[in-house]
Order: sequence, then structure tokens, then C-alpha cells
Amino acid sequence: MIRSPLSPTSVLDEATNVVSMTAAPWAGLLIVTTLPYRFLQALFIDQLIEVGKDAPRYGNLLGGTALMIVASIVLAVWGRTVYARACRLAHVRGTAPARETWRVPPAALASYLLTSAAMAILGYLSVFTCLGVAVAAIFSGLAIGTAELNERVSLIEPFRLIVRHTRTATPLALVCVFFCGFFVALVNLAAAFALGIWAMSALSDFDAPRWQALFTPGNRRYLLMLIAGALVTLEPFWIAAQVVFVSKAGAEERGDDLRAWFEELERAS
Amino acid sequence: MICAKTLCQECATQWDGIWHCAGCLGTLRRAKVERSSVLSWLGVLTVSALLLVAGARLMVWTAAVIAGLF
Repeated sequence: MIRSPLSPTSVLDEATNVVSMTAAPWAGLLIVTTLPYRFLQALFIDQLIEVGKDAPRYGNLLGGTALMIVASIVLAVWGRTVYARACRLAHVRGTAPARETWRVPPAALASYLLTSAAMAILGYLSVFTCLGVAVAAIFSGLAIGTAELNERVSLIEPFRLIVRHTRTATPLALVCVFFCGFFVALVNLAAAFALGIWAMSALSDFDAPRWQALFTPGNRRYLLMLIAGALVTLEPFWIAAQVVFVSKAGAEERGDDLRAWFEELERAS
Repeated sequence: MICAKTLCQECATQWDGIWHCAGCLGTLRRAKVERSSVLSWLGVLTVSALLLVAGARLMVWTAAVIAGLF
């Protein structure tokens, strides 16, 4: 099969290998650092549904949760940057990364904090449009993909790097693939919960009918937790795909892809 | 290669996508690394903090507008 080096299939194929190499402990670290952020987002939406049309009168309640979300973003940013570094090292070396993964360049961390804060604002502004959400997702994905390319701290350079990688359609294709992947993860997570309840019903002390009533899509909090869980599950694959894409795009610019292709041909012959 | 000498692939080492000989690599290693200025750090961290706080406010405003629609 002939595949373009920057095709979504090729990027996803290599990203899956990268995730398997970085699963323990780096994907675990990513999930632990992202969980507070996702769960606080779920709490914010739950509070919003609870207060409904009276939301403007509950500014303090919603504002307090929003500030907690902002604090959790900082932890999530660090976790994502460490995981992105793990992905890059695994992709370059072809082996599981070791302790050097912790040595995240401070410039990369600061640049990603800046771009992720800007992308969050873009995301909130684009909530009212359909196309804007996809654009915000593309830019926020490239923000983590290009984070380690920032060797120096700058207010402009991180954004220039992001824009430089939007010339191909691959980032948009990745957003579409992960949008579908989100629903697959959601269904799988719901099935896992249902399976867990069914298995637990064998225990005499476990009140199965009560739990079955709680673990239904009709329960708003359960649904929000499922959505948060699906997003957390997808996160390692999303970051790995972005890092692999940026790495492959850089290799294409330098001509490294041709050398790799030639070596592959030599091995095959 | 900076020195433009012809070398076999075994004697060359790749760094940042460019093949270098041992001498050129040594020169690059000794070269002074340009560090970011304190002003850049302050600027980036201040703007990030401002954007994060603005993001929190925008989140509440967006939520209130969406809630008003239903």
C-alpha cells in the first residue's frame, strides 16, 4: 500500500505504536494530571444545567468553579508537556523513554502554557459556531505538538510554529477521526460500566437494582462523567498523533523522510 | 556540513537534521547557547496568567449566554 508520509493513516499508525511504548508510566501520568481538569469541567456543566436560566445570578458559584478549572489547567499543561516529550523520544528512538522524559525544557512548558491559554479562549469564543470548534481543536492539538520546538521563550514564535503546521489537511483529518473516536470511547466506557455492574450483581451485598438505576444515560452526572472519561481515554492517542504529525512534517522539510524511505526499501529488498 | 569536507556516512553524525563531522560538532557544542531574556519570561508568564483569568471569566459568560438560550 502506498501512503503519503503525512497522511492521517500513516500518522495514526505510528501514533498507536508510540502510545504502546509510552503507556507505562507516562500515559498514566498524563491521565492523573488531566483528571482534575476534566472532572471540574464536568462539575461546571452540571452546575450550569442545575441553575439553568438563572445562571447570571449564580456568577460567584460558576466563577469559583471556573477559577478551579484554570488552576487545574496548569497541572494538565505540565502533564501534557511531559507526555508529549515521552512521545517524541519514543518516536525518534523507537524504544520506551526513560528518566530523561522528566527534563522538559522550561521554554517548551512556558510556550505551551501561553498557547493553551490562548486556545482555551478561542475555544470558548467558538462554542457558538460549528466550524470554529474544529478550528480551535486543530490549533489546540498543534499547540501541544509543537510545544517542544520552542527553544526560546517568545510571545509570537509559538503561534508562528502552530500556523506553519496548518498548511496540510492532516490536522483537520485528525480532528475528524478523533471526533468519531470520542463516540467509540464513550460507548466502550458505558459498556465497561454495565459489565462491571453485571459482574458485581453476583455479590450478595451489592445493591444491583439501585446502581443500575444510577448508571443510565438518564442520569445527567453519570453521562457527564462518561464524557469526561472518554476524553481522558482519548488524550494519550490525541497527543501522540499531534507529536508524530509535527515530527513527520519536520522530517519532510529536512528531507529525512526520503532517507527513512530509502532505508526501508533497502531493508525490504 | 559546515566545513564542507567530504565524509563517509559512518564518520558523520546527524544533529537537527544536518550531517556534521566531529570537528564541526565540537564547534557547535562549544557555541554559546542564546538564552531567553528575563523580559521574555516575564512577558510570557504575565500574558499567560492574564489569558487564563480572562478564560475563566469568558467561560462563565459563555455559560450564562448558553443557559439563557434554553
